[in-house]
Amino acid sequence: MVDPVTVSVVTHRFEAIVEEMGEAMLRTAYSQILNSSRDFSTAILDRDARLIAQAEHVPIHVGSLPWAVRAVIDQFGDNIRPGDVFLLNDPYHGGNHLPDLTAFVPIFDGGTLLFWAINRAHQSDIGGSTHGAYNPAATEIWQEGLRITPLKLHDAGEIRDDVITMIATNVRHQDEFLGDLRAMIGSAHVGERRVLAILEEYGADVVRESVDTILDSAERETRACIATWRDGVYTGESVLDDDGQGTEDIHVRATVTVAGDSLTVDLSDSHPQVKGFVNSSYPNMMSAVYMALTFLVDPRTPKNSGTFRAVDVIAKEGTVVWAKAPAPVTLATNHCAQEIAESVIKAMAQACPDRVIAGWGRRFRIAIKGVDPRTDRQFIWHLFHARPGAGASPVGDGWETAGEGQAMGSSKFGSVEVAETRFPLFFETHEFRPDSFGDGQFRGGAGSVLRLHMEIAEPAVANTAGEGVRHPSFGMLGGRDGLPHRYRLLSGDSERFLKTKEIDVPVLPGDVFLVESAGGGGFGPPEARSAEARAEDLRNGFVSGPESGPVSTTDSTREN
Amino acid sequence: MYRIGIDIGGTFTDIAAVDENGRVVIAKSSSTPADPSEGLLEGLRVLAGELGLDRAELLARTERIVHGTTVATNALLESKGAKVALLTTEGHRDVIEMREGMKEDRYNVRMAPPVPLVPRHRRIGVKERLRSDGSVGTALTAESLKDAVEQVADLGVDAVAVCYLHSYRNAEHEAVTGDALAAALPDTYVSLSSEVLPQIKEYERVWTTVVNAYVGPVLSSYLSRLSAKLLDAGYSGEVMIMHSHGGVATIAESSRLAAGAVLSGPAGGIAAATHIARLIGEGDLITFDMGGTSTDIALLQGGEAQLTGEKQVGIAKVSLPTLDIHTLGAGGGSMARVAGAILHVGPESAGAAPGPACYGRGGTVATVTDANVVLGYLGAERFLGGRMALDSAAAEAALERLGAELGTSAVTAAEGVAKVVNTTMAEGIRIVSVRRGVDPRRFALVSFGGAAGLHVTEVARLLEIRRVVVPNVASVLSAWGMLASDLRHELVRSHVGEASTTSAAGLREVLLRMEEEGRARLDGFPGTVEVRRALDMRYGEQIFEITVPVDGVDLDAADLVEQVVARFHKRHEDLYSYHADGQEVVIVNARTTVIGKLPELQAAPLQPSTAEVAEPGSRRVHLDGWIDVPVHALDVLPPGSSIAGPALFESPTTTVLIRAGETATVTPHGWLDIDVPLRAGAER
Repeated sequence: MVDPVTVSVVTHRFEAIVEEMGEAMLRTAYSQILNSSRDFSTAILDRDARLIAQAEHVPIHVGSLPWAVRAVIDQFGDNIRPGDVFLLNDPYHGGNHLPDLTAFVPIFDGGTLLFWAINRAHQSDIGGSTHGAYNPAATEIWQEGLRITPLKLHDAGEIRDDVITMIATNVRHQDEFLGDLRAMIGSAHVGERRVLAILEEYGADVVRESVDTILDSAERETRACIATWRDGVYTGESVLDDDGQGTEDIHVRATVTVAGDSLTVDLSDSHPQVKGFVNSSYPNMMSAVYMALTFLVDPRTPKNSGTFRAVDVIAKEGTVVWAKAPAPVTLATNHCAQEIAESVIKAMAQACPDRVIAGWGRRFRIAIKGVDPRTDRQFIWHLFHARPGAGASPVGDGWETAGEGQAMGSSKFGSVEVAETRFPLFFETHEFRPDSFGDGQFRGGAGSVLRLHMEIAEPAVANTAGEGVRHPSFGMLGGRDGLPHRYRLLSGDSERFLKTKEIDVPVLPGDVFLVESAGGGGFGPPEARSAEARAEDLRNGFVSGPESGPVSTTDSTREN
Repeated sequence: MYRIGIDIGGTFTDIAAVDENGRVVIAKSSSTPADPSEGLLEGLRVLAGELGLDRAELLARTERIVHGTTVATNALLESKGAKVALLTTEGHRDVIEMREGMKEDRYNVRMAPPVPLVPRHRRIGVKERLRSDGSVGTALTAESLKDAVEQVADLGVDAVAVCYLHSYRNAEHEAVTGDALAAALPDTYVSLSSEVLPQIKEYERVWTTVVNAYVGPVLSSYLSRLSAKLLDAGYSGEVMIMHSHGGVATIAESSRLAAGAVLSGPAGGIAAATHIARLIGEGDLITFDMGGTSTDIALLQGGEAQLTGEKQVGIAKVSLPTLDIHTLGAGGGSMARVAGAILHVGPESAGAAPGPACYGRGGTVATVTDANVVLGYLGAERFLGGRMALDSAAAEAALERLGAELGTSAVTAAEGVAKVVNTTMAEGIRIVSVRRGVDPRRFALVSFGGAAGLHVTEVARLLEIRRVVVPNVASVLSAWGMLASDLRHELVRSHVGEASTTSAAGLREVLLRMEEEGRARLDGFPGTVEVRRALDMRYGEQIFEITVPVDGVDLDAADLVEQVVARFHKRHEDLYSYHADGQEVVIVNARTTVIGKLPELQAAPLQPSTAEVAEPGSRRVHLDGWIDVPVHALDVLPPGSSIAGPALFESPTTTVLIRAGETATVTPHGWLDIDVPLRAGAER
């Protein structure tokens, strides 16, 4: 047995390797989607597809990579050689959704495959019928983009230009795509080099034994935490507004069994899969459950396959959480991933009330395409501003405008001054939205209000992608729900309520988007909120009057 | 004439005086946090005593005092700054608290939000609006201005920050507001974003302006108190304040731009490293400053430390150019814990109270320092030159408990703590290097901070770094380094435009105007003035700019713009391994650094020590088994001597360990220059 000090040092080395892979990616990625919002993950897995370490970039990527490695192994069997680089994105072959490409470098000791260095990164475009990888109109996955089943990009050191050219030809920004792909492969090669150095220093046997202990240790930590939770069978439900294709109130239902130090999450009772792109792939569903688990345990707990042994997941193929091909799935890393995580967290309210949190705001973005009259050039602008609020927790209020619930405050919005300089936009107001959060002992974080003037000279069009105009951020343990999103397009005297999955919304010169984003849910009974906190909220204008609590039902905003 | 550097830390005030010949005399006094100037004056008295003078005589023979202060830092970190109001464009008063949608520590979902420096009810929206081209969209009327000033008056604040959208483009509204505030509230400190940081991106600008207002009154009142006391004590020379950018500035300038002094203390260490780089003829250095709770590292390339505009200090964002110092959460006081089967060290620290178990102040958790005691590296009787006895039994007991959790002995657990903390620090340095695009193997590691000497060669070995330098002025390194700094003003102006539509004349005018302003700030400085220029640029579709030095480009050249664009492509290639010739290039900010060169600091070789070279003592230490190693007194080693490891070196402020295979040579300045061999099989 390897001594505990060596195991500890090897752990810290692996954790540093995935972080270094991330830094290499940040420095070399071409598209700034990757190096600004860090929408990528780096990881080391072993040959049995066990996740050893994953850099903490995107919560919804956590824990899903084992299915990707299995897909490569299923495809290639023994035909995996030193110098190979693999690629995939297909959600029905180990991916989570099409915009996320996954690059793999196998790591060998002598002739024996031991580990994998992996980079998964979100592309700004992946082909398909709309620009930007999100197509609310898709009813089949082929409309969402290019499907890449596991393939070799490098074959024993030979770069397969034919394959790379074919893929690049099928996306909209080839240069950017190729630059990012190079960065992904470079980052995985950094991981390979560093793992080889550990192997050389300690020898393969010591490293492999250490990995067993590392995973067992994480499992032990996780189980020790779960063991403190109340045994029982609990249910939680979270509901999506719609799929954009006519189906409304799509529920995700979790039945969670806490038995000693184990969890079983049964999602079988969720809504049948739907026509629109809110369906989840299997790996994405697993990731969403793991994300909920990582939020419930101590945040310092490692996030590896050992951690996830403590939870068994049961689901039914053909439901919204585990769709059958060829259902479209692109929005699922946001929705229904957030709803899957929420259903688990809501179920746990009675099992571990000191660990659950209230609901965070949902994603609801707008992409506008038009012509800038100052330059006569076409522009495409994505609304990243007007963030919703975070959910309250057992220790305090929710963070103002830190939502969306799948990113948990890890995705930055840009400068208003820069946006006005670069695009024909005028931000009249961009402030907190008073009364938007759920009341409680701890209140939710405020959402935003944005009045955005379109300073265009000819008509433009907008697409939307999101959730949460009818279903709000939920309150927890007596805390109230927040207000849902309310997005409007004001055109002359008319007012149009925007739905969350629309394409080709006409936008006229002088139109104003009036965006009011959701507040977070409250935690604990409002009676328990301190008088001081209430006085501060009033003084700071977070509430508009002493009696004006946030509205706790959703009916009042059901105009659309 | 003397030059005196003063660095006020939490516990000690360190003073270094240097005469014309470069001879260094040092003194220490206890810091007096309530009014740091008291400890400072006391330190000057001690220093005068060392030189056989009284304080007035010393001050009469002193031409310059350079001072690093933590007054601004502490005000910020301990939330003891001024009561601030913020005037901002109506409809945009929440920029500072929106945090660009970010929350720290994404997996930690049970975390209360931070208390804002300026609560929402003190953030006042003013009816005015500039457009992105600098034109006036909504005029600032006398009425709305009056209304705003009245609201500020009602709040009864000490300071006002003013930050309007697009004011980097047109400062008029802010200037008028500043005048109105000065007229109505003459005792209130006013901070205008167009003066503090006239740079696009409102989040960075509003934070920096608010921090300036928050620490400004505190720092300026301290500095005026200090000036008065020094004058009373008989000093009539210059007082310079160390700034976060590594240069110094006058008291007046430091009071105006107080946010520039929030990292005044650590900047002294980097100034010292810059000077060390010159003295040892090695420009590529990584500083390794390991203290009680954390380790600060910084990279010097070509003898220069890099600046960043992305500094986070506590919850605050300060975007003035600041030395790029990275803090790792591992130091002597870092606590060990076992999670599952894995040993972790830090980031939690035992701090000074209760401190490590061996301090005997009630701490029971094993720390890095306790491990060093158990391994025999720290002599229990000789810690800090014997000023503090260590309780080795308490250290032993703490490591016993840790060992029991790991299923091993106290000594093995102590070895484990050392290995884990060394790994953490080495990997931290590696990641910071990768982030800056450099390979750490070609750097030398410079060790300072009390805890560094026991870890530095092992960290070097893990990074395949061959050379480690331990300066023996380490105990007052910052104070000494400050004396090597120059007067410095960092100016920035946003100048957003596509390169293809920017005229050479327009760009030249912006740069020359900034140079003029910088020279004016030097206020009649008689010495050599150096001007450096850079532009922040990006490709059209990118979000982030990179800073491109344009020194040596002829401003009068007709193809000025083409030349800077060529520099940009080259810099982009260097940083990101690609460039895109055909793409549109955008110039975002112009930067100018105006430096008033102060006379160079001399560093005298060691005087031959009059003391007998003491025979080394000996101590039993654990290095893969227990062995006896010689213990040398660091301060009396003759220059040129060479000592092979394993060996220990002790001074009143630090202990240095070299291992088998490593060789320490004593430099002419009495420093250790350590050769660390590559381990077998290392990558070359």
